[in-house]
Amino acid sequence: MTKTSINPIKKVLIANRGVPAVRIMQTCRDRKIPTAAVYSTPDRLSYHVLMSDEAVHIGEAPPIESYLHAEKIIDAALQVGANAIHPGWGFLAENADFAQMVLDAGLIWIGPPPRILRAMGDKIEAKRIAMRANVPTIPGISNVEDVAQIKAWMAEEDVAYPIMIKAAAGGGGKGMLKVENDDQLSIAFSQAKSEAQKAFGDDQLLVEKYIEKGRHIEVQIVADKFGNVYHLYERECTIQRRNQKIIEEAPSPSLNEDLRQEICYTATRLMREIGYETAGTVEFLFDSKTKKFYFLEVNTRLQVEHGVTELVTGMDIVGLMLDAANGEAFPFHQSDIVPNRWALEVRMNAEDPRTFNPSFGTITRLQVPHGPGVRISQGVYEGADIPPYYDSLFMLIMAAGPDRDSAIAAMDRTLSNLRVEGVKTLHPLLLSIIRHEAFRRGEFSTRFIEEHMDELISGFQEKSSEDEVLKIANYVARISALGPQEWM
Amino acid sequence: MSPGEIIQVLRSLDGVMITSTGMRDAGQSDYKNRIRIFDLATLAPYYNDMNLFSTECHGGARWHVGVMSRRESPFEEIRILREKMPNVLLQTLIRETNLWGYRPYPKNVIEHVVTNVDIDVWRCFSFLNDIRNMRTVAEVVMKRGRLFEPAISFTQADWTTNDYYLSCVDDIVDLCGGTDEIILCIKDMAGVGSPERIRSLVSAILDKYPDLVIQYHRHATDGLALPALLAAVQAGAKIVDAEEDSLTRFYGQPPILAVQAYLEEAGIQVHLNREAAEGAVQKVREWIRHYDWAESPFKGFDHNVTRHKMPGGAFPSSFEQAQKGGFLHRMPAILKVMSLYNRIVRYFDVTPGSQITWVTCSGIVNRYAKEHGEAGVDHVIQLLTKFVEEKDQDFEAMTEAEQEELLELFRTAPGDFKNLLLGRYGRLPMGWPDDWVYQSAFGDEWQTKIQERRDLSPLDALKEDDLEKIRRDLADILEREPTEEEFILYLMHPKDALGYFEFVKEFGVAPLVLPTDVWRYGLKRPGDKVEFELMGKPYSIELVSIGAEHDGEIHVVMKVNNKTRVYEIQTPRAKKKEIRMAKGPHEIGSPIDGNVWRIGNPERGPIQVGDIVHKGEEIANLEAMKMENAILAPFDAYVKEICVALNDTVVENQLLFVLEPIEDS
Repeated sequence: MTKTSINPIKKVLIANRGVPAVRIMQTCRDRKIPTAAVYSTPDRLSYHVLMSDEAVHIGEAPPIESYLHAEKIIDAALQVGANAIHPGWGFLAENADFAQMVLDAGLIWIGPPPRILRAMGDKIEAKRIAMRANVPTIPGISNVEDVAQIKAWMAEEDVAYPIMIKAAAGGGGKGMLKVENDDQLSIAFSQAKSEAQKAFGDDQLLVEKYIEKGRHIEVQIVADKFGNVYHLYERECTIQRRNQKIIEEAPSPSLNEDLRQEICYTATRLMREIGYETAGTVEFLFDSKTKKFYFLEVNTRLQVEHGVTELVTGMDIVGLMLDAANGEAFPFHQSDIVPNRWALEVRMNAEDPRTFNPSFGTITRLQVPHGPGVRISQGVYEGADIPPYYDSLFMLIMAAGPDRDSAIAAMDRTLSNLRVEGVKTLHPLLLSIIRHEAFRRGEFSTRFIEEHMDELISGFQEKSSEDEVLKIANYVARISALGPQEWM
Repeated sequence: MSPGEIIQVLRSLDGVMITSTGMRDAGQSDYKNRIRIFDLATLAPYYNDMNLFSTECHGGARWHVGVMSRRESPFEEIRILREKMPNVLLQTLIRETNLWGYRPYPKNVIEHVVTNVDIDVWRCFSFLNDIRNMRTVAEVVMKRGRLFEPAISFTQADWTTNDYYLSCVDDIVDLCGGTDEIILCIKDMAGVGSPERIRSLVSAILDKYPDLVIQYHRHATDGLALPALLAAVQAGAKIVDAEEDSLTRFYGQPPILAVQAYLEEAGIQVHLNREAAEGAVQKVREWIRHYDWAESPFKGFDHNVTRHKMPGGAFPSSFEQAQKGGFLHRMPAILKVMSLYNRIVRYFDVTPGSQITWVTCSGIVNRYAKEHGEAGVDHVIQLLTKFVEEKDQDFEAMTEAEQEELLELFRTAPGDFKNLLLGRYGRLPMGWPDDWVYQSAFGDEWQTKIQERRDLSPLDALKEDDLEKIRRDLADILEREPTEEEFILYLMHPKDALGYFEFVKEFGVAPLVLPTDVWRYGLKRPGDKVEFELMGKPYSIELVSIGAEHDGEIHVVMKVNNKTRVYEIQTPRAKKKEIRMAKGPHEIGSPIDGNVWRIGNPERGPIQVGDIVHKGEEIANLEAMKMENAILAPFDAYVKEICVALNDTVVENQLLFVLEPIEDS
């Protein structure tokens, strides 16, 4: 692709932090587009600030005072002369009001138009649109006011536990709870309501039947302003903990060629009907028993796991978002997109690998291995702080190869040599998962981690001489400073 | 070779063989067991060629001090030595029911532990010479096809006659089914056997059991070790214990090269490769200077050991305790009291007896000193001297005032002394002490206590421990399954083993790879470095700088394989942020690291001290990384204390609430 004529985007402000902010800056660098970062007080020295061409302080630690504060972000863009805003993922990425404010300020919004954000952001509305487009959906009810309403629906439709409660405005697992029985229902309901309010500023809930042993498959879509809506094939994101993905791959090991074509075509058709623009994802729940898939939602943003699609197709999705925002027509067709590799991504979250409780603090050691077939997307550097206020994701590791086994082997090599110290991370769990027999065979559901937790934990320990020598150095440092110890 | 084959060879051997104690007793007796495997392993290649009978490299107090002070695992030590000296039999010293710990263990613990330790020669002793107590160790060792070496604890006293020892040997031969698969050790742990006494004892035993292979183990404390060894060998002992000449100080074994020369001059062949032995002696000189600090402050031979009988292995630790406790100057008085005490309560001063003697006697002396000054110390010595030496322990012959004083003598004695009187360790060799000792120890309860006194071996008296439960307890503490070795370390010394595991988690194999000067003092000047190999790869740690202390922290900059790293070291003066952790069942701790964003719940609003909360009710909510975590009341309760404020950041298990349960009426 050669860049032609005018390029309206002169400078991009990235309304985000960490991994997504850094990722977007990388493509901007490729395009020689200057970038501006925003940061909250604890993020003053964070990686995305160092990566940017300039940076604006927008407030204190709580997201509501900084990364969720629309006015401050728009002011920051105007202040540094940025004429476009990329929201990344999370925070304001799917906030229609914010997108509208950006446009009203005369800036370019690198994302779908506010009307689409609004329609798809409302899960109930999105489901209605999907049904209208003949896309299969999971049985459920919306506008849930109280627990009694849920019970009435279950009785009427003969639905048994478990069920899912979801924030209507939600995404990313926040405000989303699985309910196993009557006893859990009321606490789960109020927790989901409160989380929804906190995460999305909207406490509307919907309730759906829970599909057991479901697999999570999604289709990456890109669209320009000229009605060219293409899919970049699917990703499988079945390995989740607490309803949040931690391992994604492309292609999906669950689908045969016919199902693949069908699911990708269905997603493209839906997005075309919506009149979608820029990058987005249609998520499905795949029932591997019946081989049926159900519409879950449309993610109207760049997704965390877009990298695996980039690895298998060779496309730069952030680049395509810039092109779409610039008003350029895509110079390729669906038939030009030919995936030819297998790719895998793991999410390195700062959390306890046994309990998933968040962990924060200073990264005292970060050794990131490189090598054939590996792509690393970092949001931090050695010595950086992981503050307690934001998402726990701090690094993505991707590996690719000609087939699934090769991709897993490259991932294994990379995770084996990765070192992160100072905070607890999912690292040992991720390594355990990709080495697990069932995962290797491609046999898993969204409950894989719960089902295999003990086995996974038992695979945690590994010793390396490099780690050992640092422990020895720690001892030498201590004794050098303090002299002989009482216990000696 | 099987134990039977080994005994065959020894029986037909012309001359003697040597067990080197350089790797255990030498270090225990003169260096508080601080000599590290890092240094001892340098002797192994020489030992491999020395033609030793065995090397005592394990057991005694070395196990515990390893875990506690050297941070070395006795299992790791065995692995290192096996690899470096495959030709040598590895020998341990084990207590019959106390093993390597400090309490009598039940039978199932003994079986489990002895089964899982890879040692060839098991020297086993009882401080009471209560041979019944050796049964379990003997059974397991012999069943495993390892060599069992029962020891008789030796001392020189009017009651330790040849007949007495022969009765012990009878019991041993009975227990072990004859003399074909064992070595008998005469354990002269204090170094008190005069040459002629030893000659007489060895002869008497061999007269009765001519096929028995005898090993003489002796400390050098009285200065007469060499002639005593010669006497033993001339009488027919086949193995004697010795250590490197350069390791020898005062309380360990005699010097190996001198032993060889002295015995050979007397016409006895000593099976020892002199050249290799000289190599080992020379090697010791390369590192022994690093241990000057560990030597006993009480230097020089002490022929008075024949009276106070403190064993060589207890010398450095006793003097260390006296030094730390500030009563080093009272040592002569304490040793004098010991020499009188051991005629009143008769057993052998070796673990755990030596500790009981030491704590009891130093306690008596220190109590008198505290209450009456140095005059009081003189007074108690006079009292005991009169009682033991003049009146021949005839209680009635003492004045009424003296009797009253004696009846207070053991009132504050340690619990182990009282357990000993009650038979918890087994039978005393010469029967129970006189009644006045019980009155003195137990006061008005003395008669009941005498009735509680048992004659059983602890092997028969102790209830079995629930090993699986102990293993699960340890797994809970470690938050993972312990290895078999960790489990055994924990069985022996629960508290110190946990300290060791903690150390290993933080500092890994530092004790195994660092040279002793770096281990003890670190790196001193910029540019100083330590180089070593780890898992087959070379590493280097180089000091760049040590910063000044600031706010209880010192920054140490080091290059680790050329990569610069900064270590923030907390000094003992570091301000400790006091965080209260939830402990009891009524204390509610935080399940995560997070932020307290709500106390109470939306329905009832904030909760205050004194409020009643109901089981399952949300009483607070924590947030971390945008996920909520409800804290639920585990039972109906009054809120007794709220330990955090709104918007506090808390760590996992930090105390949030103290609740007081509402009992059902």
